[in-house]
Amino acid sequence: MKSIIRWPGLAAFFVVVGLLTAISILFLDFWIKLAAEKTLGLANHAEVNIESVEHTFSPFSITLNRVQMTDPNAPDTNQLETQSVTAAIDLPPLLLRKLIVDDLKVTGVEFGTLRDSTGDVYEKSEDESVDSENLFVETQGIPSVDEILAKSPLKTTQAIEDVEVAYNKHSDKLQTQYEALPSKEKLENYQKRIKELTETDYKDATKLFAAKKEFDQLKDEIKADKKQLEAFKTSVDEAKADLGPKVSILKEAPNQDYNQLKSLLAGDADAIEDVTTLVFGEKMGEWSQYALAAFEIIGPMLKSSSKADKEATAYQGKWINFDNDAGLPDLLIRKSEISITWQEENINSYWTDITYQHDIIGRATTFVVDSSASKLWNSLKVDGDLWLSDASGTKAQQTWALDGLTLSDLDLVDQDKISGVLKSGIVSSTGSVSLVGDALSGKSLIDLQQLLIDATGNNKITNIIADTLNQLKELTLNTGIAGTFGDLDLSINSDLNQQIGNALISNVSAEQQDKLEELKQKLNSQTTGVLGEGNEQYQQLLDWEKFADGDLSSIDSLLEAKLDSLVDQKKDEAKDKLLNKLFN
Amino acid sequence: MGLLAKLFKALNSDASPWQLAYGFALGMAMGLTPFLGLHSLILIFSVLFFRVNISSFLIAWTVFSVIAIPASYGFSELGESILLSSNLEPLWTGFYGTFIGQLTQFYHTTTLGSLLVSIILFPFVLLLSKKLIEQYRERFMKWVNQWRIVQILKGSKFFQIYQAIKD
Repeated sequence: MKSIIRWPGLAAFFVVVGLLTAISILFLDFWIKLAAEKTLGLANHAEVNIESVEHTFSPFSITLNRVQMTDPNAPDTNQLETQSVTAAIDLPPLLLRKLIVDDLKVTGVEFGTLRDSTGDVYEKSEDESVDSENLFVETQGIPSVDEILAKSPLKTTQAIEDVEVAYNKHSDKLQTQYEALPSKEKLENYQKRIKELTETDYKDATKLFAAKKEFDQLKDEIKADKKQLEAFKTSVDEAKADLGPKVSILKEAPNQDYNQLKSLLAGDADAIEDVTTLVFGEKMGEWSQYALAAFEIIGPMLKSSSKADKEATAYQGKWINFDNDAGLPDLLIRKSEISITWQEENINSYWTDITYQHDIIGRATTFVVDSSASKLWNSLKVDGDLWLSDASGTKAQQTWALDGLTLSDLDLVDQDKISGVLKSGIVSSTGSVSLVGDALSGKSLIDLQQLLIDATGNNKITNIIADTLNQLKELTLNTGIAGTFGDLDLSINSDLNQQIGNALISNVSAEQQDKLEELKQKLNSQTTGVLGEGNEQYQQLLDWEKFADGDLSSIDSLLEAKLDSLVDQKKDEAKDKLLNKLFN
Repeated sequence: MGLLAKLFKALNSDASPWQLAYGFALGMAMGLTPFLGLHSLILIFSVLFFRVNISSFLIAWTVFSVIAIPASYGFSELGESILLSSNLEPLWTGFYGTFIGQLTQFYHTTTLGSLLVSIILFPFVLLLSKKLIEQYRERFMKWVNQWRIVQILKGSKFFQIYQAIKD
């Protein structure tokens, strides 16, 4: 026994283990900093810096101070910067490589802050922006009427074609059906025969029964004719439903073409359509980052975390999970409070169950922002939920309501041909967005009031646009949200395009006005004949409908005539006579 | 250099061949398996608490750590096939739920695969190294000492270190 055991070795063992433990504890903050920077960097696709790390053992918690996450699209700025991140971690699950955070507090979150030095980018995403370089090009001279007609597809031409196609489609069938209908004489003959049969005083029962047989035969013929009339009526209704709206469109088309051509003479119609996006698009995109912060940043990061984990373990062995479905996910933040700092105001958001394995916990991640009146707004409410699943895909939804946010000195557009600053204004917004799989969809209403815009242009068209913007006091923007995770596509509609279009049209010169009159006459001459013909064709349909209705009505009255009561009366009389003879 | 000198000293000393052989075998297990894990703690405890030759343990640890680099993929494959075996699933699931099971990190494919290979190789390495040490002492020790190269080495700095340790 003495020769096998080395007692000083036992002391050495404890010294070695103690040393290893001491070194681990001594450098724990450093190792956590390295690990967090690497993991978050992989998830962010760009460099992440942490100023310092602190920890406590009871309860076990880690605090990361000043976390800077480089924006992969703009490495000089941070996509997100936080003052501190404090996480209270549940220790036992760490043995199973599961990070369960009971409470997470993130303070001083800011977006788009400047970095101390340019961050490394591991993976860059593509960005698109609207540029005015090819827009607002002033027309060189006045184009000829024929040139404009060639350039602009006319709605009138299309409407004429549609009317002719629709009429041709129905007319042959209607004509054939119409010719096969019973004539007026035939209907009058039916009427005459029925009158004779029903009004004759039948003395002889044999004659009565013969009349009854003839009456039934007549009714069968009338019913067959009625079927033909009903089929014709159905065809007329179909033709009317098809042709009616097309004739109406044809009536409106010349005016619409005239206005469209007027816009073309006034300036670049495509450019006018893009004005709202050009002026407000950049700001909308920036605001959408705040509104959709949960989906834009946290969602992809959670997904990346799971992916990064799988990639990292592929080379050094795999960790096989023997949890049942009721077990713990690899990452779970049970409760979290994230405080975003914006224009010196704190917006607190409250989260529950942050994870990327919602199928395991059976609950969605939820988030709520409920901020009462502040210096900047009257109220702000945001709530939503997020469910990431490999089996059924991602599902998420969010709604928001912002009331009375004060805006001041916002750069709207800064292009060569037009620039503009929103000096002051008040914005309110409501909206909702949902995510199914990778597809985002949603809409929002942005109501801008008490606007004071200072815009300047540097050519005729942009000067008119700038003047319109400067006169703008209120504006409602309808925003459509589409696209995929991390690649948001915003479409913005408003009556601003119409206002600018009208302003441009009112600036059309006398020479251009003459051209427009010429165009108007040409359009009218093209459409008058077709409209007349179209109306005539439509009128014929109405006549046919009337005719079919009239004939059906008279046929129905013919079918109502009855001979049965007369036959029954004769039967009763014959029966009475027979009884009298038998018993008297 | 110092470690080699110590090993050379141990081989030429009156240290039991079993002590040297256990050192080799335990060092083999330490080298083949990942460092982090309960098994490493048990191995280090065994080496220090029992009278096992530490020099042979350290040499074998170094040598087998190098061998483990190309072999780790094979260990991982072996571990994965065992862990994913449907027959053993109830066993692993039960063990996964225990504190000891979680400490062993058996559910890591490379850890389980390399540990299993180490356990299988252990008796063979133990007996083979014991046999080789005995053979060395019986047949080669005197002969090796007569080599010209050894004579040269004896006059070298290496031998001086060896002598200093021996004395």
